[in-house]
Amino acid sequence: MITTPNFINKVVTGITTWARVNSPWIIHFNSGSCNGCDIEILATLTPYYDIERFGIKLKGSPRHADILVCTGPVTRQARERLLRVYEQMPEPKFVVAVGSCGISGGTFAGCYNVVGHIDEVLPVDAYIPGCPPRPEAIIDGVVKLLNHLKEGTRPQPIRPEIGDHA
Amino acid sequence: MNTEARLQRAKDALAPFTRETFAPETNRLDVVIDAGDLTKATAAMLAADCGYLSAITGLDLGVEAGYMEALYHFCDAAAVTSLRVRLSREGQPEIDSVADQVPVASFYERELSEMLGVTVVGTPDPTHLFLPDDWPDGVFPNRRDFKIEDAAPVERDVPKIPEQGRMGNKFIVPIGPQHPALKEPGHFEFAVDGEIITGARMRLGYVHRGIEKATEQRNWIQNLYLLERICGICSHTHTSAYAMGVEKLAQVEVSPRALAIRELIAGMERIHSHLLWLGVVAHEAGFDTLFMYSWRDRETIMNLLEEITGNRVNYSISVLGGVKQDIGPAESKSIHKAMDYLEERIRYYLDIVSTDAMFLQRTRGIGTMTRDEAILYGALGPTARASGLVRDVRLDSPYGAYKHFPISIVTDERGDLEAKFAVRLKELLVTCFTIRTLVDNLPAGDLTVRFPRKVPAGETVSRVEAPRGEAFYFIKSEGGESPTRIKIRTPSLCNWTSVLNKAVGHQLADMPMMISGMDPCFSCNDRMVTVRRKNGSQTMSWFDLRAYGIEKYKSR
Ligand code: SF4
Repeated sequence: MITTPNFINKVVTGITTWARVNSPWIIHFNSGSCNGCDIEILATLTPYYDIERFGIKLKGSPRHADILVCTGPVTRQARERLLRVYEQMPEPKFVVAVGSCGISGGTFAGCYNVVGHIDEVLPVDAYIPGCPPRPEAIIDGVVKLLNHLKEGTRPQPIRPEIGDHA
Repeated sequence: MNTEARLQRAKDALAPFTRETFAPETNRLDVVIDAGDLTKATAAMLAADCGYLSAITGLDLGVEAGYMEALYHFCDAAAVTSLRVRLSREGQPEIDSVADQVPVASFYERELSEMLGVTVVGTPDPTHLFLPDDWPDGVFPNRRDFKIEDAAPVERDVPKIPEQGRMGNKFIVPIGPQHPALKEPGHFEFAVDGEIITGARMRLGYVHRGIEKATEQRNWIQNLYLLERICGICSHTHTSAYAMGVEKLAQVEVSPRALAIRELIAGMERIHSHLLWLGVVAHEAGFDTLFMYSWRDRETIMNLLEEITGNRVNYSISVLGGVKQDIGPAESKSIHKAMDYLEERIRYYLDIVSTDAMFLQRTRGIGTMTRDEAILYGALGPTARASGLVRDVRLDSPYGAYKHFPISIVTDERGDLEAKFAVRLKELLVTCFTIRTLVDNLPAGDLTVRFPRKVPAGETVSRVEAPRGEAFYFIKSEGGESPTRIKIRTPSLCNWTSVLNKAVGHQLADMPMMISGMDPCFSCNDRMVTVRRKNGSQTMSWFDLRAYGIEKYKSR
């Protein structure tokens, strides 16, 4: 993140970080998932899990979003769309891959219309494993990402080992 | 009329075209016909009232056999009549389109031509439905000799997705392929004249992964987990349909207890799916309170599913030959408790959607589909039942435990969005009742029986009523450890025809509700929609479009 000795800059950075951490807006893109992960993401937004208490809001337009939440393996038809959504997001942007499919291709690894997993297409900042991950796991992943934002660092995710299963 | 009489009726209707007939199973009739007779045979089937065209399977019999087959499956209650048309593997096989008689066939034909390489003469839209735009010509995934290396993307000059534009004095409004509240992405183009929609098209394939082909590379047991992941909402439907078909092929008798547990889970899946739908449509109508309420209550059933199966979404309860988990006294107690709560809530929702004046403005008389139209467009599930068309596999062809625990069917004559709400919510009450009956009267028996690793050669059709309508499976085995061909036709594909046809003449502002009203399994998570206004054109996202719809109704 931007670091300049200038005092005003420091204050501004402080304010933007504060704002960013307290209102991370997300956009969700399904690039070939089975819906399992998608409905769990939606479930986290509804009253039972209520991720909105972290200031997280689901946005419809990539231009408003800070975090791109991706589900599913990337299909050939959706690849270009995924990239486009990512490019439309303002900097700094973060990518969260939700579900085994997004991490490794999951059950769909090796299918003819699947390009691969998400980090073959985009740089991923957080991986949330599970098929689908429980809403609690999604919240945990997002909170970990937010802690990094607070410190002004980009997370260094441990890239999951992908076996030769395809 | 019983199944034999129905099959006989089809046999008589097809007599002039018949080359050969087989009766692979008691409820099935396979009739081999010449490719040239297809349209006449279809007309004869429809004229004699021998059911509706449920799916078209493209079957490659391999290089040695030297030919392929297109199977046109007509379902008439429990009877399934398949017209088998033989096609050469060489050159450019051709078949006539039946889409002018059966509108929904246009999707099946698009699929047939891109997957098997059959030219369908006269089909209204020959473009790709599922495969990507950069797919090379002359490579067909459902051919036996398909190799993934051949499918490398090619540079092609097709406009990837028509962004926006004029067609004469009409304007094309693209919607999709991305929307946060829904599931798989789809892409739609609506031609509008001012506010009124004059034409509609769609393009799928954003989530097409190639599962049908992948099943051929996995063994029978692995496929259970692969097929479960076709859809995270009706995962159990797919495993039940698959398990049922494979068990039929292997001639394995599953215990009544296991079947009853499958039905129980299917009921719970229906509850979770319909509550999800209720929330999504309420959200599209701008009624977010109802969205939040119904999703909160949906957690009751999710917790229950987790308690019983260990998973919230992909339950994995079915295995080949039975089920994994049992229902004990503790579980039955929680089930009853959850049903008490849900029944009360559902009655409350039913009251809201049928009395709230604001809400009724958005639903009453919108997208009305008559019974005849429902038949013509091949609507299925609650979409058909809301138009007074009784089409439900659980009733028409009772499978598994539905033979002993029948359900009652809810229908409505009105056919509009309001009727769809009424049907789905009443169906929930019926389902709650069925679940209670099931837990109180679970038959005794083992959970699983032994299942062979190899499944004897044969073909079978397995149909299951998913929350959205009939799911159709065609399974072919050649006696090996993996299937030769699995054809899957999910209910949403059929219901699309009805929505796209009904869209014409409606206001653009009604589209979000109408699309989600049929409970599509798509996620239209995008993007730019351009609406022509008097003061030039304006760009809208799906969200803005939704807001625009809400706004428009508020200001009336
Ligand atoms: S990880 Fe599992 S639940 Fe999520 S999209 Fe993939 S298959 Fe579906």
